[in-house]
Amino acid sequence: MESSLTNACILKIENFEGPFDLLFHLLEKNKINIYDIPISEITDQYMDYLYAMKSLDIEIASEFLLMASTLLHIKSKMLLPSKKEKEDEEEKDPREELVARLIEYKKFKAISEIFKEKEVQWNRVYYKLPEAVEIQREDEILNLSPETLVSMYENILNKYKNRMNTGTSNKMVQILKVEKVSLRLKMKEIIKTLKNRVYVGFFEMFSLKKKSRMEVVTGFLAILELSKMKKVRLKQKKPCSEILIYKSNDSQTDDAEINENSKILNYYT
Amino acid sequence: MELNNIEPIIEALLFTSGDPLSLERIAEVIETDKKTARLIMNNLILNYNEKERGIMIREINNAYQLCTRPEYFQYISKLFEPRHKQALSQAAYETLAIVAYKQPVTRAKIEQIRGVNSDSAINRLLEKNLIKEGGRMDAPGKPIYYVTTDEFLRSFGFKSLSDLPLPAINDLKELNEEEAYE
Repeated sequence: MESSLTNACILKIENFEGPFDLLFHLLEKNKINIYDIPISEITDQYMDYLYAMKSLDIEIASEFLLMASTLLHIKSKMLLPSKKEKEDEEEKDPREELVARLIEYKKFKAISEIFKEKEVQWNRVYYKLPEAVEIQREDEILNLSPETLVSMYENILNKYKNRMNTGTSNKMVQILKVEKVSLRLKMKEIIKTLKNRVYVGFFEMFSLKKKSRMEVVTGFLAILELSKMKKVRLKQKKPCSEILIYKSNDSQTDDAEINENSKILNYYT
Repeated sequence: MELNNIEPIIEALLFTSGDPLSLERIAEVIETDKKTARLIMNNLILNYNEKERGIMIREINNAYQLCTRPEYFQYISKLFEPRHKQALSQAAYETLAIVAYKQPVTRAKIEQIRGVNSDSAINRLLEKNLIKEGGRMDAPGKPIYYVTTDEFLRSFGFKSLSDLPLPAINDLKELNEEEAYE
C-alpha cells in the first residue's frame, strides 16, 4: 500500500490493543455512525492497515486476521442479493453482530478510562501500618492434674532417650549403615496392616519411640501418597492430634500399582 | 457505654488497626449490633468530612480504614519523595474493567469481549492483587473464574462492587439493555 498511509500509521499501529481498537480508530477518523457502518469502505481501510503493518514488518496478531476475514465475510454477504422467504420477515443485517461486539468493547474501554482517573486520585492517599500491640494477656489457668505433668515429663524423657547416643563415648562400635527405607515398602506395610483392621493410628505404626526419623518421615509420605491414590482415608480430630488411617472402600490395592506410584517418589527416600 | 464516647473509641480502634477494620469487629468491641455500628460509622465519616481534617475514613467492602485525604498529596510529596508506581497497560485496564463488571468471568469471556489475547494482562492483574481466582466454571476444562479483590476497591476508590460507576454511554443504551450493570 502507498506511503502516505504507511507513514501515517507508523507510530499508531503498535498502540492498538486489538482489532476492535483499530476499527474504532477507523470509525472515529471517518466520523462514521456505528449503527450504519459502510462496511466496504471500512474493510478496505482495515486491510490497508494490515498491509501497512506487513510492509513495516510488524508481526500481525492472528486476531487482526480473524477480524479481516469477518469484515470480508460481512462485505460479501451484503453484496449478495437477499433472499427473503417471507415478505414480512425482516432481513437480519449482517453487521449486527459485529456492531454489538464493538459496542460491548467500547463500553469497557470507556470504563477503563474512568478507572484510570479514579486510580490517579486514590493513589494520592496514604495509610498507616498496623500497630504491634503488646498487651499482656492474663494467665490462663489450665485444668490439669499433677499426674498429667508427670506423664508429660516422662514422655519427653522417652522421646529424647532415643535421640541420645548412649555408650558411644569410649569407642566407635560400628560404622553407620545406610538405612534402607523405601516409600514403596512403607506403603505396602500400611496396606498390609489395614488388611485386618478398620483403621490404624499413625503413631501406632510410626512413632519416634520405635522407629527411626527416616522411617517416620517416609511413613508420613506413604500415607499422603496412599491417600492421593484414594487407597486410604486420613482423619485428624484436631491439629497435632493423632492421624488415623482408615481403609478406603477402594482398597483392593495391588503391588504393581504401588510400585508404579512410588517410582517417582522413591527419589526422596 | 456512653454514646458520645463511642466515636472517639472507634477513632482509636481505627488508628491502632491501620488495616481495614470490619464492621463486625467494631460492633463487637463497642457492643452494639451491626446496624447501630454502621449508623455510628456513617456519622463519624460525616464528621471527618465536615471538619475537613487531613485524615479521612474510607469504607472498603464493609470495613473501615483511616487514610490521608487525596487533596493533601502535594504536601506529603513535599515531605517525602513518593515512589513512582508503574502504571498498568491499557490492556490491563480494559481487562480489569471487564472483570469488575462481569465477575465472575473466565479468560475466554474476557478475550471474546476484547477480541484479543489477554493472558499477560490477566497475569499482571493477578500479580498486582487486583483480581484473583474465584472458583471454576462448571464447564468442560473447568475454566477459572476471575473476580476483583478488596485491593482493587481500595486502589480505585470504591466502597464496594455496588459502588462501581454506571458510565453514561447514552447512544449505546438500546443494544445492551439485557446486560445492564448490576
